Amino acid sequence: MAKNSHEIRDPIHIFIRLSTDERKVVDSIPFQRLRNIHQLAMSYLIYPGATHKRFEHSLGVMELASRVFDIVSNQDNIHPIVRELIPEISVKAKLGYWRSALRMAALCHDLGHLPFSHAAEEALLADGWNHEKITVEFIRSEEMKQIWESMTPPLRVEDIVKLAVGQKKLKDTRFSDWEALLSEIITSDAFGVDRIDYLLRDSHHTGVAYGKFDHFRLVDTLRILPKSANQTDSIEPVLGIEEGGLHSAEALLLARYFMYTQVYFHQVRRIYDIHLCDYLLKWLPDGKFPTDIYKLQNISDNDVLAAVWQAAVNKSHQLHELACRLVKREHYRRLYERNPEDLSVNPHIGQVIFDQIKEAFGEENVRRDNYTQKDNMMDFPVLCNDGRIIPAFLLSETLKRLPVASFDYIFIKPNLLREGQVWRKNNMQKMLSMVAREE
Amino acid sequence: METNKRQVILLSLIESMKVQGSWCGETHIQKSMYFLQTMCNVPTDYDFILYKHGPFSFELKDGLGDMRGNMMVELCSRIPYGPSYRSSETGKALIERYPKTVDLYKKEINFIAKQFSTLGVAELERLATALYVSVEEGDNSIEARAQRINKLKPHIPVSVAGDAIQVVEKLSCEYARVTA
Repeated sequence: MAKNSHEIRDPIHIFIRLSTDERKVVDSIPFQRLRNIHQLAMSYLIYPGATHKRFEHSLGVMELASRVFDIVSNQDNIHPIVRELIPEISVKAKLGYWRSALRMAALCHDLGHLPFSHAAEEALLADGWNHEKITVEFIRSEEMKQIWESMTPPLRVEDIVKLAVGQKKLKDTRFSDWEALLSEIITSDAFGVDRIDYLLRDSHHTGVAYGKFDHFRLVDTLRILPKSANQTDSIEPVLGIEEGGLHSAEALLLARYFMYTQVYFHQVRRIYDIHLCDYLLKWLPDGKFPTDIYKLQNISDNDVLAAVWQAAVNKSHQLHELACRLVKREHYRRLYERNPEDLSVNPHIGQVIFDQIKEAFGEENVRRDNYTQKDNMMDFPVLCNDGRIIPAFLLSETLKRLPVASFDYIFIKPNLLREGQVWRKNNMQKMLSMVAREE
Repeated sequence: METNKRQVILLSLIESMKVQGSWCGETHIQKSMYFLQTMCNVPTDYDFILYKHGPFSFELKDGLGDMRGNMMVELCSRIPYGPSYRSSETGKALIERYPKTVDLYKKEINFIAKQFSTLGVAELERLATALYVSVEEGDNSIEARAQRINKLKPHIPVSVAGDAIQVVEKLSCEYARVTA
């Protein structure tokens, strides 16, 4: 008899199990494409171990999504207010369908990533496009549709779309509370399994141990809870946690903060992202990736890397200099990093320096990158041992003190670094006083 | 609207809500900003959707996070409530540097802060949902809109939804009178 359950070994989850139906999705061209897309773009130039791909991350997200689903839909774990608000959670006959849909949505949530994942998506796609929209196109494609229809039970394409992408990116689509919660299992900024997997996996591959936390305990204590049990407050159902899991939740949020500051916001990683974008803008026809999925699936990191290498070794190649920034580590150097002291004097100091330095050294010789970690206020309900529901913020001194990861860098061409440093020293006071004011 | 001005309006709203006694949790800010933008037509252009329990803007949520990262707002807490936002010194200084924007929308901000600051979160959710559905289905009767709210959000009974629509309509009239 043919085997219906398959295992894949994984360094994070040890075994990832999937059915024969699910394996059809893994074997599809849109999913196999993810084997050639780096999870952390060119971070392997800083952390040599970071060569992992979207492929294994997506498998990990699927594995975690069903673990969380099994916990939060266990009838012993359902809060009475939630049972009343979300009748679907008690319909046992349908839970199997939603478990399958959630697993497939988790598996497919990253299908639309461009080569090298996030790097400069906005600049490299036509207006109105982002990787989530391309993910939707892949899930709805003819090849995938046939797979969804052939599964037992058949899965509705639009359910997978909703759960994979979430309401934040599907603003014109209405979600039931149940659908919104299921999509939060994947996409939520606090306890989304996308985040749980990438923190653990990125930590493992970069060798930055700060990203590890007790995800087994965390998953076991996740619950769907009303924000408050008090009827005058919001009883909106959200992902929360049992009191016993609070420390593992704190550890997750600390891990996130440290991974942002150590890895995702690493200044050399950021400038490589910019240089890669500069290269792609010149290399791609019209400076854009195609949004037609059948054309896009034919361009992977391998194609880009081969082209970059060719340009770097050929001095007469018109993209030679851009390629050397990546291949020969001739990247721009950090001239300025915003700090709390400067920020307290001038909240727009990064923009001021960038405007001034462009005039002084020429736009082509300087770059700026700034970003603040999204959704950083971690308030979620905690189900206490005595049955009360309390905001985590009140129970946890750690959460109260957890900073927001944020950076603002100014970079300059390597041969101008010395001159730039002198210029910065001479002009800093003046720039700090250039505070934005209404005309 | 340019980012600085948008931030100034948000900071002014937080300041005004505090003056009126609001706890200024995220839900209070979300719903008050929705009323400011939708009922008072202040052009902050946050993209609101009807989320689980009422209008919600992911963009506004990210905006608050950005402002916290840039030290314009701070979080504090008090038992038994969750986190509360307040303007930082940097945020207050930004308000002072944009006097025209503050003046332009002062009346609207004060009106919203006065009307909504002392309401509980559950009531804010109901009223904001009532406004959302009324904007979508403005031509329909109160009864039809109440039915619609109940269909979209079954935890709000039809009679409660009808009351919420009436409160919102009264507030709209009051706003028109105050700004006439």
